[in-house]
Amino acid sequence: MSVARSFGQFYPVASPLHALDPRAKILSTAVLLLGLFFVDSAAGLGLVAVAVVALVAVSRVPPLTFLRLLRPVAFIVALTVFFQVLFSREGETLFAWGILEIHEGGVRLGLFLGGRILLLVSAAALLTATTAPLALADGLEDLLSPLKKLRFPAHEVAMMMTIALRFIPTLYEESQKITKAQAARGADFAEGGPLSRIRTTIPILIPLTVGAFRRADELAEAMESRGYRGGEGRTRYRELRFRQRDAIALAATALVLAGAILL
Amino acid sequence: MRLELRHIRHVYSPGTPFQVEALRGVSLSVGPGEVLGIIGGTGSGKSTLVQHMNLLLEPAGGKVLVDAVDATTLKKSELRRRVGLVFQFPEAALFAPTVWEDVAFAPRRLGLEEAEIGDRVRESLALVGADHLKDRSPFALSGGEQRRVAIAGVLAMGPEVLVLDEPTSGLDPASRQDLLRLIRTLRDTGTSVVLVSHDTDEIAEVADRICILEKGEVRAIGSPSEVFYANPDFAPATVSTVAALNETGWDIGHPVRFRETLRALAGLMEG
Ligand SMILES: Nc1ncnc2c1ncn2[C@@H]1O[C@H](COP(=O)(O)OP(=O)(O)O)[C@@H](O)[C@H]1O
Ligand SMILES: [Mg+2]
Repeated sequence: MSVARSFGQFYPVASPLHALDPRAKILSTAVLLLGLFFVDSAAGLGLVAVAVVALVAVSRVPPLTFLRLLRPVAFIVALTVFFQVLFSREGETLFAWGILEIHEGGVRLGLFLGGRILLLVSAAALLTATTAPLALADGLEDLLSPLKKLRFPAHEVAMMMTIALRFIPTLYEESQKITKAQAARGADFAEGGPLSRIRTTIPILIPLTVGAFRRADELAEAMESRGYRGGEGRTRYRELRFRQRDAIALAATALVLAGAILL
Repeated sequence: MRLELRHIRHVYSPGTPFQVEALRGVSLSVGPGEVLGIIGGTGSGKSTLVQHMNLLLEPAGGKVLVDAVDATTLKKSELRRRVGLVFQFPEAALFAPTVWEDVAFAPRRLGLEEAEIGDRVRESLALVGADHLKDRSPFALSGGEQRRVAIAGVLAMGPEVLVLDEPTSGLDPASRQDLLRLIRTLRDTGTSVVLVSHDTDEIAEVADRICILEKGEVRAIGSPSEVFYANPDFAPATVSTVAALNETGWDIGHPVRFRETLRALAGLMEG
């Protein structure tokens, strides 16, 4: 099967992390994402980094593959560091060349911010790499379900997410096929500036959209013919079970984070 | 044109756990005015193979030769014009507001004059029997009509080799017959045709030579009667029937096509 190995991709192996309840993982990740904003020392970031590296090892996702999952965001991290280093005027001047000045504070802040984003993204990638898309949506629905009382459409949101996740690889594959078919008709996608780039993608975007609508139609029909009537009174094929190890995982995350914030 | 593949190898996602060796050294060739039929089970590498014919996929090893010239030395645009590739379900790539505009896409990309483009579009649509559809939206056509238009979109480049990947899948019997007729017409004008199919009955009717792919390797290549009689699991109904007859002591030779087989059987009844 051809699937883009990219950010947000599930990596299907058996590991203690894969076996955790999706809710435990979602909550831990959420706690980590929020908590990271309160970590303000290098030692604290270091502690979280060590924890993330340990978790990647536990997840049985090969380190190189994991790094590849991060590649799409590497550019954003690099850009953040670059701007911090270039435009911050804090601290000692390390280097000056014309109007270009690099300050010690800028370097420190840049690396710090870059590290923080990298950890945020790693945590999110770890969640999606170790949780099957369906389990992720189920967990999310369950966590959001208290909001149903406030008329928040938790089931619908989760269902939308499930469907979207299910179709991303399909759409990707479809776009590859269409791109090749147009290339066989002489389309050249590498040439020209942004405007002609947009023009050259039209022969891909139109059939892709037409195909997506057709698929959506077929899916809706298939769901209806199998009696799908929304979330009301729906039972699950796989019931979620929050076990002791899930509680421990959540507590451990909170503990590491508390340590990192205090450091 | 003579198109030749030499020891083509292809590996998908090399160096990852998802690595697939799709082609393991495939060699074959197709000459001018020849129809080469490629058959093989799903996943045998047929689609991967044909995408090497215009280098949409680059081989991990081996060479593609166009009239004895290494295809990598040709300009991509020239190679793609000379080797026209029609993907499986090509109608999925229709995009223009009208059939005419869609078929004109490739000749436009070649930078031809407007008059020349018009001629090419008319000719290609006529070849596939779709001239009456030229002002319609491609999205409002039936599946069979869409397929014809999509094929015309490749024919409009004036390819010297036309490669068709499972062109009849999902078509009704009448459209299949039309397509086989188109293939014969093209062959008669000197165009080489590579026809990929898993329908051996259909391929037996038009192919001059047959190649059987299996697990990314050529299992057999040669004339239809050689290949089909030596590989009964891929034989069309005609060959299976004659082989069964020959086994019971008759000898009516090795016909492959329907008409030849009928003639042989008629001879048997008279004799
Ligand atoms: N884009 C791709 N990425 C990864 N593997 C692929 C891709 N396309 C095909 N394959 C694999 O390569 C092998 C040959 O596939 P393909 O050429 O499509 O065979 P066929 O057309 O004979 O059915 C199969 O095992 C298939 O799973
Ligand atoms: Mg195929």
